[in-house]
Amino acid sequence: MANSSEASRLKEETWFQRIVRRPEIGAFVVMVVIIVGLMFASDGKAFNALGLKNNIKIISQFGIIALGAAMLMIAGEFDLSIGSMIGFAGMSMSLMLKWGLPFGLGEATPFMAFALTLVMTLGLGWFIGTVVVRSGLSSFIVTLAFLFFLRGATEVGFRLINKSTQVSGLQDFKEDSWFAHFLGGELFGWFYDAWYWIGMQFVDLGFDRKEQWFTLGGNINRRGEQWVEGFDARFLWFIVISMAAYFILSRTQLGNWIFATGDNKDAARANGVPVNRVKIGLFMFTAFCATMFAACQVFDTNTSDAAKGNLMELFAIAIAVVGGTLMTGGFGSIVGVVFGAITVGLVSNAVFFIPQIDGAWFRVFVGTILLAAVFANERIRKRITGGI
Amino acid sequence: MTEPYMRVENLVKQFGPFTALGGVDLEVYPGEVHALLGDNGAGKSTLIKNLAGVHQPSSGQIYIEGKPVNFRSPRDASNAGIGTVYQDLALNPLMSVTRNFFMGRELKGMFGTLRMDEMNQIAHDEMLTIGIDFSDPTQAVGTMSGGQRQTLAIARAIYFGAKVLILDEPTSALGQRQQMGVLKTMMRVRSRGDIAIIFITHNEIHSKLVADRFTFLSLGKVIGQGTRETLEGGEIRRLMAGGAELGDLAKELADIG
Ligand SMILES: Nc1ncnc2c1ncn2[C@@H]1O[C@H](COP(=O)(O)OP(=O)(O)OP(=O)(O)O)[C@@H](O)[C@H]1O
Ligand SMILES: [Mg+2]
Repeated sequence: MANSSEASRLKEETWFQRIVRRPEIGAFVVMVVIIVGLMFASDGKAFNALGLKNNIKIISQFGIIALGAAMLMIAGEFDLSIGSMIGFAGMSMSLMLKWGLPFGLGEATPFMAFALTLVMTLGLGWFIGTVVVRSGLSSFIVTLAFLFFLRGATEVGFRLINKSTQVSGLQDFKEDSWFAHFLGGELFGWFYDAWYWIGMQFVDLGFDRKEQWFTLGGNINRRGEQWVEGFDARFLWFIVISMAAYFILSRTQLGNWIFATGDNKDAARANGVPVNRVKIGLFMFTAFCATMFAACQVFDTNTSDAAKGNLMELFAIAIAVVGGTLMTGGFGSIVGVVFGAITVGLVSNAVFFIPQIDGAWFRVFVGTILLAAVFANERIRKRITGGI
Repeated sequence: MTEPYMRVENLVKQFGPFTALGGVDLEVYPGEVHALLGDNGAGKSTLIKNLAGVHQPSSGQIYIEGKPVNFRSPRDASNAGIGTVYQDLALNPLMSVTRNFFMGRELKGMFGTLRMDEMNQIAHDEMLTIGIDFSDPTQAVGTMSGGQRQTLAIARAIYFGAKVLILDEPTSALGQRQQMGVLKTMMRVRSRGDIAIIFITHNEIHSKLVADRFTFLSLGKVIGQGTRETLEGGEIRRLMAGGAELGDLAKELADIG
């Protein structure tokens, strides 16, 4: 009896057991299956130079908002207003770019349009968060109200100022504003330059161009010149936001506070964690993510319309859950969310690479993995909490 | 005789028209276990919430080392060395032992990063000194037993400078063996000599095993106080029941059936 301490009851795990028990393992396996399946089904087209660019664009879009949603869910709240916030931010920026700054302050530079919009959306995020923590109401219902409110306000705003609910044909700001370029332009050009160079080396050695599908596929125009110039700038923001989120959650005091807030907020409060400030801050963070989403879209396409971002809040939540985030808060994995964004992004794009399938299967797929993920997450939660 | 670390004088707490505490006096000494006993609703939890800054007294005064203090928040109280372990322990089951241990008071390095290795080491060592060898401080609290959680909450309060450790029914939800574990933990803390423990319990045996001093509450008033030497067994039992004679329990029960 004397030498059987509690510690000795803990079995040493092998690295394999430890990996299998990680919360993101499900999302990882699904992602690998999708990547391999898509590779074969599209004859590699999904991952040639052009396919990679298109896939990473949509993955980054999903990823940016899913990371915001996941952080907030870990702190125990939902935000259903993300999609409407995207529409609102897009409207705000495009109208400023087209009609000038409000109050007759003159022409809007891309930076001014972005900064002013961000001030507004962060203010809205702060307000939503404050309403949630002050009222003690469920964030589900409060943000549902803002889903309607903001979408309506976006449409009204468009009609009042612009007479129509869309703006198109904006000047191509990314041409001469580096700021717009970093939101809507193409970055990481060196990646494609390198790919092109490698491919051409093989061509010079006498290999057929067609065999260089990985490096040159979709990367070359009819005249044999390089065509794809880089990844969308979204990719950069996806990387930046995911790294920041990972770092904050796992390595900082704020991360500990976010987990504590979502797990048991009374316990967190009793230990001096500023629970309300954490939550309000994260509502502002989702608003920030929505604004980045909208800014990349506006400066990429030079257009905007009142329906932008529709349903995106639900995709964001679905991806967060697929990535292993608990609906009840207190637990989640940024790495899992990244896997989830890759999976959902690839499948949503699959129809372009495999034209014979019906694009609507995408939603069937999302519904299926979402349900599977909810069950898997529940098992993880039970295991951690000892089965209650 | 040593000075009391904390002294409570004529503390009154009213909730609207309801007087939860009607003038309570209390003295707690370092290196002693002070048992706070009384029936359900006697006002024990209300008293310690006043001491812990959760409630503000309606009147009366709390003194720490002879100086009058007013706690406006739990923060104030914990800064003054009052460490409270509530019945629900204020733990987060999904988070690791270490993350719980340092919740709200994390050790930060440059750029606000957590000094995780150091925190793991401290959490492990602190829990070891008061009784459990928890080999893996990265394990989630949800998988710990009730007694281990109690130990974690106590170790945490002590590490963060508690001079008065308030334990609200720490043994009530535990099995026999774990109850003994918690009592042992209390005795280890007591033997340090610099920490006063307020121990709330309904269990007569437990209080007699560890307490040096007793206070009995009934209907918000102190109905008896004394040291282990001045009180004897029968008296303790009578006071615990709110001053009434329990009589022949077996006979009363038999009469009903
Ligand atoms: N916030 C409050 N508002 C109104 N009445 C309260 C409040 N808190 C406690 N009371 C009342 O004060 C009395 C004392 O309650 P308290 O919780 O202190 O009892 P206790 O001695 O801890 O009982 P138990 O042994 O059951 O834990 C009870 O009658 C309770 O209803
Ligand atoms: Mg009580």
